[in-house]
Amino acid sequence: MKLLKFLRPYWFWALLTPLSMIGEVIADLAQPKLMSRLVNEGVLAADQQLILSIGLRMLLIVFLGGLAGTSCSVFASLASQNFACDLRKEVFRSAMSLSFQQTDQFTTGSLITRLTNDITQMQHFVEQCLRMFVRSGMMFLGGIVMMLSLHSKFGLMLLGALPIQILLMGLILKKANPLYAKVQKRLDKLNNVMQENVNGARMVKAFVQEERETERFNQANEQLTETNLKVAYIVARLSPLLSIIMNLSVVALIYLGGLEVMAGKMQIGTIMAAITYNTQVLHSVMMVSMMFQSIARGRASAKRLTEVLNTTPAIEGGTLRADSLGEITFENVSFHYPGFEGREVLKNISLTIKKGENLAILGATGAGKSSFIHLITRFYDATEGRLLINGRPVAEYDLHSLRERVAVVLQKSELFSGSVADNIRWGNPDATDEQIIRAAKIAQAHEFISKMPEGYETMIAEKGASLSGGQKQRLSIARALVRKPELLILDDSTSALDLATEGKLRAAIQKEMEGTTLITIAQRIASVKECDRIAVLEDGGLAAIGDHETLLRESAVYRDIDQSQTKEGGIQNG
Amino acid sequence: MAEPRQNPAMQAIRPGRRGPVVEVEKPKDLKGTLKRLLRYLGKTKRSFIVLMIATLLITAANLLAPALQQKAIDALSGSLIKQMLLMLLFLGITYLFHPIFTYLQGIFSARLAQGVVRSMRKDLFARLVKLPIRYTDSHNHGDIMSRMTNDVENISNSISTSVASLCSAVLMVVGCFIIMVLYSPLLALVSTLTIGLTLLATTFITKFMRRFFVRQQRILGAVNGQVEEMVSGYRTVVAYNRQQKAVLHFNSTSDRLKKTAIFANIFGGCMGPVMNFINNVGFLLIAIVGGYLASLSPAHLLHISVGTIQAFLLYSKQFSRPINEIANQYAAIQTAIAGAERIFEVMDSQLEDQGGSHSMDPKAVKGKLSFRHVKFGYLPKKPVLKDFNLEVEAGQKIAIVGATGSGKTTIVNLLTRFYDIDGGDILIDDISIRDLPRADLRRSLAIVLQDTVLFSDTIANNISYGRPDATMEEIRAAAETSGADRFIRRLKDGYDTLLTEGGGNLSQGQRQLLNISRAILADPSILILDEATSSVDTRTEMRLQSAMLKLMEHRTSLVIAHRLSTIRDADKIIVIEDGRIVEEGSHETLLAQEGTYFRLYQSQFAGIAT
Repeated sequence: MKLLKFLRPYWFWALLTPLSMIGEVIADLAQPKLMSRLVNEGVLAADQQLILSIGLRMLLIVFLGGLAGTSCSVFASLASQNFACDLRKEVFRSAMSLSFQQTDQFTTGSLITRLTNDITQMQHFVEQCLRMFVRSGMMFLGGIVMMLSLHSKFGLMLLGALPIQILLMGLILKKANPLYAKVQKRLDKLNNVMQENVNGARMVKAFVQEERETERFNQANEQLTETNLKVAYIVARLSPLLSIIMNLSVVALIYLGGLEVMAGKMQIGTIMAAITYNTQVLHSVMMVSMMFQSIARGRASAKRLTEVLNTTPAIEGGTLRADSLGEITFENVSFHYPGFEGREVLKNISLTIKKGENLAILGATGAGKSSFIHLITRFYDATEGRLLINGRPVAEYDLHSLRERVAVVLQKSELFSGSVADNIRWGNPDATDEQIIRAAKIAQAHEFISKMPEGYETMIAEKGASLSGGQKQRLSIARALVRKPELLILDDSTSALDLATEGKLRAAIQKEMEGTTLITIAQRIASVKECDRIAVLEDGGLAAIGDHETLLRESAVYRDIDQSQTKEGGIQNG
Repeated sequence: MAEPRQNPAMQAIRPGRRGPVVEVEKPKDLKGTLKRLLRYLGKTKRSFIVLMIATLLITAANLLAPALQQKAIDALSGSLIKQMLLMLLFLGITYLFHPIFTYLQGIFSARLAQGVVRSMRKDLFARLVKLPIRYTDSHNHGDIMSRMTNDVENISNSISTSVASLCSAVLMVVGCFIIMVLYSPLLALVSTLTIGLTLLATTFITKFMRRFFVRQQRILGAVNGQVEEMVSGYRTVVAYNRQQKAVLHFNSTSDRLKKTAIFANIFGGCMGPVMNFINNVGFLLIAIVGGYLASLSPAHLLHISVGTIQAFLLYSKQFSRPINEIANQYAAIQTAIAGAERIFEVMDSQLEDQGGSHSMDPKAVKGKLSFRHVKFGYLPKKPVLKDFNLEVEAGQKIAIVGATGSGKTTIVNLLTRFYDIDGGDILIDDISIRDLPRADLRRSLAIVLQDTVLFSDTIANNISYGRPDATMEEIRAAAETSGADRFIRRLKDGYDTLLTEGGGNLSQGQRQLLNISRAILADPSILILDEATSSVDTRTEMRLQSAMLKLMEHRTSLVIAHRLSTIRDADKIIVIEDGRIVEEGSHETLLAQEGTYFRLYQSQFAGIAT
């Protein structure tokens, strides 16, 4: 398995685990012998002195064995937890480098389960393997050797029993194996229902659909339980079948041995020892079979994790460092979302945005406005045509350095847990308190933040649920401003602001952010009529571009939009 | 970043019978948790009983088989070949029964575990949907999820492995104890003392262990919280180039989890060896005391034979073995109990009550609304609404205008009883909403929120969310009214298009149109639009306008918007500032007053205000 490489750095612990296990096993083997001596020689002979001396020796061995056992679990835990921790980090890192298309494919819920549940499974798996495999293996081999050394006939018997046992195990596990993947899938589904309900609680309540959601959940729950039970039923056959073989071989042992004893070729004690070893061997095989279950589970999880790890980011940066962000040129750019061939969101767009320009993009819902800016930051790649920055194709630039110079305020303002200041600083971790306050002031957020119970230190509860839409938007804008970007993109991110506030905001941005290229996506003409140029998108194509006055004169679409906002005698739409 | 739990808002908000949940570290009510877990076991009584019987028989077979083996070998040494064959036959029969019961045990312990977990998940979810919005607003979503997945999973694992062995352990212990007392009460006392010592050690270690296990589960919750936040807010993370930072932050939490988990494991791992050691001390003690007793004169009351000691020692070993087994599973059981505690914590949170009992037909609601002296704040000392008064006649269209953060959305939160008012009263048709059943109250309302919520289901089912029994024609009609039909028809699968969670590739505006269609189809007596069209472009909105007007006819509507055009034809416009109504009246009268509304209006007309 590919994931084993994550264990490599901890090979030392991983190696020490079985080694200390040997200590424990030796103590386990030695202790019964001492105990029988204690009884046979000490107690039966009423020799208190001997009882005490053997007893103390026994305690010492138990103590050492316990020490070995404890360190075994310490080592196993060091190895497996470190392994899991590295794996978790790596998978998270991978998840954080996926393109949007890829996260959409994985779905958020599934990514979350992979990062949590699957990792835990892997950790259990490694820990079990380290501790149990070795122990069972030692017992297994040791048992076979001991038995053969007792009498070759016993070896033959084992030779008969073992293949049957292994075959049965194989059959059952083969049947159970595919079900583990199914279990994970159903778990994904269950989690998905849950996540939607946690996140969409308001809607569920508003439409009084608690019962329906409960029904939906119960269905997923039943399905998961059903699959889990199916697995359990199959696996439940394993242990009785194995014990039949084990027990029959004990009967056979006594019978075979009995014949030998009758013939005077063997001693009774040998049979007893053989029974013990036989039990040990077959028992260890059974333990291994138990572990095969966790291997199957582990494999399902490992596969899901490897999927994430193996996904190479669909969008990778080049090597060119973006030292500054000048002219942005669209050359006959077309774009459609992956998997939606023939449904162009953007069609043949050609446009140059100059440094420091103040460009607005206007257009109907679904006209491709957001897609337009997603190409600049390389959230997606153009499917046709070229997008140039400073005259070089955008794909040549190092992604990090490119995005470092851009700040996008998305339509949906996502806030994170932390204080207000933390959330603004999120845009620029090095920002000083003064810079944060300044950004908040420009974003028209300072006033309401100051009114909060602890000002900038107020904690933002779950995703800003306690804030109004407008407040969230202004915090998002402050978060963008504190980056001091060379290109600031506002993707319809003032929609929840009243016009007065929006006006102040725009004026402040223009005053304070001189030289910054500004791209604004907006609905309201009033918000953008001061812009240098306004691009009107219609059905993915560039319908018109120019300043307010020119467009009013020349573009029918623009006039149409203007009209829709100034219905009945010039009343501006807000 | 600080823990969200430290949020003062939440400390004040958090409901729950057991007081604030902030002090997670404090060892909690172990007995209570176990009792409640047992209650779940009790629910699957039949499986439990079958499991018990199977376990009992397996234990019996386990005790019988060695005896038969012994007898067969004894017969062998006496060269009694017939006797040996007879014993082998008995042994064979025992061995044939054994797997049958093992199979039953396997099946029923799985049933038991799955049954418990299923009903636990079910209960938990049933509670989850009934938790007040205040709870979901103030708790980390990932953490809530972690309780439903990880914690439940842990319980399932432990039950399936532990219950059967726990039962057989108890049977063995009881059986052995009886036999031991019969052999020698004094030695039995010594043996019991050892058990006492074991228990003492267990409690001692457990105390430390539980602390780590609880902490481990809590950090696991935090890890999940971060995963959830970063994965679902991934677009923003990428937009701000924060992937690396997110990874670093995640790594440090992950490291914390690792450290705690290792400590928890160490305590868990040393449990077995410690027990083993104590048992051996006990063994030695018995040997010494037994040896002394054996050396007494045979006439002495306490004298025992050497054979008795031998037998006794064997049994005392049998006695301690199952206890060792339990000790070895202790770690798993601890994790499960820590998980159960976290699950019960959610279950114990104050649920939304059913509301009042004043029955009302949601369809017959006329829609008269009265807000009387309403006082409300999300935090105790920070009122958002102060003495808010508003009368809305049935069928009126009311527009609510005000700066962001002035309390507009709060009115929606209160009317829907997402949050409850601190003072005053809200009435629908002159009935206080507190007297109405919540379900009836909410059925009489339809809301369209700024944050659109879509479920991973078909578009049609998303539209019919409020009325699952709607026909396809009705669904299509609703979508046509909202204008969503245009883009839906352009999709490959039309109304059967499966939306990925959160709405996938739909634009924000398209999502809003779907939400509006949903409200149209719900056909409520009272309609609430909270910035419902903020992401819809104005031309689409204009098309929507006539539909909206039609929609608002004959029903009371509250419209929160910042686009004055959408609210100009309202019957009454109220302007809110700082949680109070500062102006109210029609568009014309308010303009004539030249107050706040006038200024807002001017700023729009002028395009940019300064």
